[in-house]
Amino acid sequence: MSNKTALPMGLGRTPALLLLVLASLVALPLILPSATLATEILIFALAALACNLLLGYTGLLSFGQGIFFGVGAYGAALLMIHLKWGMLGALFGAAVFGAFLALLVGALAIRRTGIYFVMLTLAFSQMAYFLAYTLSGWTGGDNGLLDVPRPNIEIAGHVLVDLADPRHFYVFVAVLFLLIFAGALRVIRSPFGSTLLAIRENETRAAAIGYDTRHFKILVFMLSGAITGIAGALYAMLLHFAPLSNIDLMMSENILIMTIVGGTGSLFGSLLGAGAIVVLGDVLSELWPRWLMLLGAILILVVVFMRGGLWGGLAALGKRLLASRTADDKAPAKTKETL
Amino acid sequence: MSDYLLETRNLELAYGPFKAVAGVDLKVRAGTIHTVIGPNGAGKTSLFHCLTGERQATAGKILFNDRDIIRKPSHGRVALGMARSFQLTSLFQNLSVRENLRLAAQGRDGLGALNFWRSVEHKRSHWNTADQVLERLKLTARAETLAGELSHGQQRVLEVGMSICAKPTLLMLDEPTSGMGIDDIPVMTDLISDLGRDHTVLLIEHNMSIVMSISQRITVMSHGQILVEGTPEQVRNDERVRTAYLGEAA
Repeated sequence: MSNKTALPMGLGRTPALLLLVLASLVALPLILPSATLATEILIFALAALACNLLLGYTGLLSFGQGIFFGVGAYGAALLMIHLKWGMLGALFGAAVFGAFLALLVGALAIRRTGIYFVMLTLAFSQMAYFLAYTLSGWTGGDNGLLDVPRPNIEIAGHVLVDLADPRHFYVFVAVLFLLIFAGALRVIRSPFGSTLLAIRENETRAAAIGYDTRHFKILVFMLSGAITGIAGALYAMLLHFAPLSNIDLMMSENILIMTIVGGTGSLFGSLLGAGAIVVLGDVLSELWPRWLMLLGAILILVVVFMRGGLWGGLAALGKRLLASRTADDKAPAKTKETL
Repeated sequence: MSDYLLETRNLELAYGPFKAVAGVDLKVRAGTIHTVIGPNGAGKTSLFHCLTGERQATAGKILFNDRDIIRKPSHGRVALGMARSFQLTSLFQNLSVRENLRLAAQGRDGLGALNFWRSVEHKRSHWNTADQVLERLKLTARAETLAGELSHGQQRVLEVGMSICAKPTLLMLDEPTSGMGIDDIPVMTDLISDLGRDHTVLLIEHNMSIVMSISQRITVMSHGQILVEGTPEQVRNDERVRTAYLGEAA
């Protein structure tokens, strides 16, 4: 966990971490074959980051993330199609829908803890899926919601940024990602964020020292729902399409897997996790249609051998490299002494 | 305003037909160290659970500063000035000792801690409280150690220390020496009598040497009821207590 392991090179500090994110955002489209793939990574990284706030920082395993993702996708699409809302308005709407749904799910689910909490989020997830399937007049049902626009950013009819170009859209999503990442970082280092860690560590003690833990859990749930909603909206705009699979249980699973593979308790880990799974899916699905089996194997490996996820693994590697370098520096001095 | 900081009236905690606490009138005078003792199964811990809000008493009243708090949830009692420690060490194991104490100080803010746009550094007072308590617990050298890596004795000390961070008027300590080695017990005894100078202390304790040396008032429980209440001297010489408790220990 972030507090457990002192990270090498001062990466625990805010400016260094934000620089690392910025560097990754610049590097992604350069090393990947397409801007669309890079955009997809960032969208899922947002969803994983939101999931991480629950799982890594509060200790809540939610299978409901697909609900907020799906609702963000449908919500933003419907606002744009029927009410002709612009890009920023649609994203704002998606965040509000996501937060509202999270309030509904959270208010009930957090009445229970542990396995019952998990089961409740699972049940909500199933309900949301069938609701979306049934309301086909709005959602397109099995066919998905087609012709989702991707409006340009305009002021008074004057186009500021043309987002039809995939590279422009990537830059837009990257800026949004950086802002949300910085915001989330600020939240986890606030009194509220420190209390979430306390709840994760020991909820009984947190209540005994004066925290009404339900309020904290509901608020973090809403925050997570809002960010996931934005991710869902961006995904619909990327695909020009909101498939039913957005709100499927499988989506919740994917988001959870990315979060765990990347590393719980580290926001940058979520970017790593999303990157690894999206790229892997992209490469492997062309080689082998049953690639999801490999994904299962990777998850098992991470859970068994790399509890800190990719981020934890990288941090440990960096530490070992630093340690061996300092050991090398000392080694000649030692031989001199023995001489 | 009565002389008593904490008072229960006919307090009862029933589990079905069984009454773990069967009509207890406990009176804790402000500024004292008041200990509740009794053989196993006497209802001490059940009484404690009612006072902390962990269990909802089934009948009676709990007056704190003359105000009935029986319906207050445990987190709500902190803001009124009540704090507790746990019999089984209950810390934030993966957070530093200093952060454990800071969180406990922040807890008194209640919903003010929902603030998510300010940095934790902003509230200096919580850090200062944590540092003062560190001094008092003699744990300053271990401030950045993870709570889970402290020795058992130090964890017990931190456990008690967490309860004073919210600057409570009443400290409720549940067997603070539980599981402690014989060498660590004097440390705990000194700490509790030190805390007794600033706080009213309600202590549940098994260790008789601690009870007799630091308590001003002792309540002996048996079968969910109060058997005897008095000074350590009176309790020591009471025949009923001897048969119910001391006789058993001797």
